[in-house]
Amino acid sequence: MKVRVDPERCQGHTLCAMRAPKVFELSEIDGHSSPVTEDVPADQEDAVVEAVRSCPERAISVF
Amino acid sequence: MTTAPDDTGDEARKQPRVHFDRHAPEYRHHFEEKTQEFHGGCPLAWSDTYGGHWVAAGNRELLAFARAGEKLSNDHDVHGERRGYQGISIPAPPRGRGLRGGFLEMDPPEQRAYRGALNPYLSPAAIKRWIPFIDEVTRACLDERIESGRIDFVDDLANIVPAVFTLAMMGIPLKKWELYNEPAHAGVYTPPNSPEMARVVEAHMAMIKDIAATLQEVRATPRPGLADALARMEIDGKAPADSDLIGALALLIGGGFDTTTALTAHALEWLSEHPAERERLSREREALLDTATEEFLRYFTPAPGDGRTVAEDCEISGKQFKEGDRLWLSWAMANRDPAVFADPDRVDLARGGNRHTAFGLGIHRCIGSNVARAVFKRMLLHVLDRVPDFVCDPEGTVHYETIGVIQGMRHLPATFTPGRRLGPGLAETLETLQRACDEQGLAEPVTVRKAEAKLR
Ligand code: SF4
Repeated sequence: MKVRVDPERCQGHTLCAMRAPKVFELSEIDGHSSPVTEDVPADQEDAVVEAVRSCPERAISVF
Repeated sequence: MTTAPDDTGDEARKQPRVHFDRHAPEYRHHFEEKTQEFHGGCPLAWSDTYGGHWVAAGNRELLAFARAGEKLSNDHDVHGERRGYQGISIPAPPRGRGLRGGFLEMDPPEQRAYRGALNPYLSPAAIKRWIPFIDEVTRACLDERIESGRIDFVDDLANIVPAVFTLAMMGIPLKKWELYNEPAHAGVYTPPNSPEMARVVEAHMAMIKDIAATLQEVRATPRPGLADALARMEIDGKAPADSDLIGALALLIGGGFDTTTALTAHALEWLSEHPAERERLSREREALLDTATEEFLRYFTPAPGDGRTVAEDCEISGKQFKEGDRLWLSWAMANRDPAVFADPDRVDLARGGNRHTAFGLGIHRCIGSNVARAVFKRMLLHVLDRVPDFVCDPEGTVHYETIGVIQGMRHLPATFTPGRRLGPGLAETLETLQRACDEQGLAEPVTVRKAEAKLR
């Protein structure tokens, strides 16, 4: 599984980092999110799916 | 929902029709029914109230508006210099107030400049540094009441902690919290025709005067904080007008004070009514604190919505809009959208997929969202640890009469088994905390100071 955060859509709601703190990193400056790496570790896949479902801006995609 | 007989001209566009008056006292009592009516077939409808405006209640629709970019405007043109737009309140506040509601009543690029200046004070990393400070204010508030076995969760806790913390971040002396407290809450819940209004206006003026004085002070003698960030900011090499800076500071006060109070009071009232859920939340806090916080945000949505003005003729979400149309984005109703939330009128502390809109959507996402979450969570944990058996008194509970602006509470008295104090009272604590702010520069942005506040 790979994950991407659309920087145009992300507004820094931080729910992704609550659901999958090992996968998403929040900018120290404005709290906007980016994945630590594009490849999701197998044991994080469920957490990432939950992050996708929780993002208010629908900014996260997995493929 | 009705279909108007007049289908000629511009009226044909304004379909379906609803009667929507969120300032009416009845709205609070019929919120769920009214919301179900919207979700039942008109998630985007026209209401003739307040000069006529669209009402968006569906999550999908709100997302479409959040992504509509320049087709919508937040501008409040108080001096009639641009297109006369009326900002984010419907109806707009009486003319002559002369202040824009800060960057929430601005569009990019101006709005972006403000957010850029303030974000490094309000990001998750910036707020984390303040946790010991928030804990210490909370501890002192509870100590003031803990031996008596009685507390008003609004007056004695949820009004104080957000107020003191907001002033600390701004760089305003903590002991002034009461000067700001009255207008920040009473200014929201007092109906325009109330005999109390004259006093509220007076308190509001005193607050605005103090904000203006703060701005002058930090210019003369810089001290860190949000006020300093605004005093130093430039847009295209020019300082913004003082009135805009004062509006921005007043917005931070309004956003920082009343909303977190509202969330905390509603959550505590609910937990008192559901003691088994309260025990479960306390016991399983590692797993539940985050999801429960988001669920309380969804269910109680302290700031129920925002207005916009359509800035060009366009089509959004399948409807035709004309430049100048007013639009109400109901974050509160979208948070009960059954298309997104299973069993939306039920509180589920472990709810998954909670893509709620309590902080809005799009570029105007509440800039204080990380403040609200942190302050709420710390207050909640202290209450669960120190007065775990609290019982709220419905007789003494006072909700805001109308929830058009903030879904708040004025009083929430409760009783509990008395406990022991852990430290000094509020006045002494605020003096200690003020010294910490001054000596450690706690209100610096995270780009300047990374360390957590040290209080012992
Ligand atoms: S939840 Fe969505 S909007 Fe929020 S930080 Fe994560 S990606 Fe960005």
